[in-house]
Amino acid sequence: MRLGVLLLLAAVWLALSGPYTLDGWLIPVFGLVSVAFVWRLYLALERAAGGGFEFFRAAAWLRLPRFLVSFAVKVAAANVHVTKLILSPRIELHPRLRRVTASQKTSFGQVLYANFITLTPGTITLDLRDDELLVYALDAESEADVMDGSMDRDVLRIEGGSN
Amino acid sequence: MSGALDIATAVLLVAGGFFCIVGGVGLHRFSEFYQRTHAASVTDTAGAGLMLLGLMLQGGLSMVTLKLLLVLAFLLFSSPAIAHALVKAAHGHGLALELEIEDERGGDGDAAG
Repeated sequence: MRLGVLLLLAAVWLALSGPYTLDGWLIPVFGLVSVAFVWRLYLALERAAGGGFEFFRAAAWLRLPRFLVSFAVKVAAANVHVTKLILSPRIELHPRLRRVTASQKTSFGQVLYANFITLTPGTITLDLRDDELLVYALDAESEADVMDGSMDRDVLRIEGGSN
Repeated sequence: MSGALDIATAVLLVAGGFFCIVGGVGLHRFSEFYQRTHAASVTDTAGAGLMLLGLMLQGGLSMVTLKLLLVLAFLLFSSPAIAHALVKAAHGHGLALELEIEDERGGDGDAAG
């Protein structure tokens, strides 16, 4: 698992800035140092979080495309809505603050859900305590995106791994 | 063939630019801090997303596209974290929200004191 993260980091570095010939020693050394540094950060994070995220569960990756499509559709719709609000001659907002229950069991799932809400224009997560999100929304329509629970279900479906 | 790709790229870039401008306009037209953060997220998602998509079409199946995908992925992780940090800091330090509707215990907060 941890070795998997190390390999992933090395692959990312190689893809982004890797030397494809071995005629110098400086760049590969820089690469090793940076990969080691980020791996060290990851281990510290894993310790702080009390467990790692399982990147390599095939099931979660298989469900990813459907999640991304649903995510893109919702974010696009919210963007159109907020764009209309911004460009309307008279800006009429009905801001509201709601408590929303995050039904994800893992902290990874809850963070993903909170980020999903924040990323959707019109709604933003103010706070996350226990399994309750404090959501600030611009108006009833933005609020409905969260309150109908469809985002919650999307994240539940993709939620995998541990912790 | 490449003509159609170029047109698609142009459309996506212009659309992305449009949403970036809309985000900027919203930043000015909305009246208070918390509302303005919503306008900014239009730039983060639709603006940046459409532009990166348009550039990916030009990259084709290449390392460039992989890098653009990573840029998009990092953006989608970092921008909500930043937005959340901003509003949480403002809320925690007691910057009042202008609200029409509030759940009981809603805006409270031991944090807001």
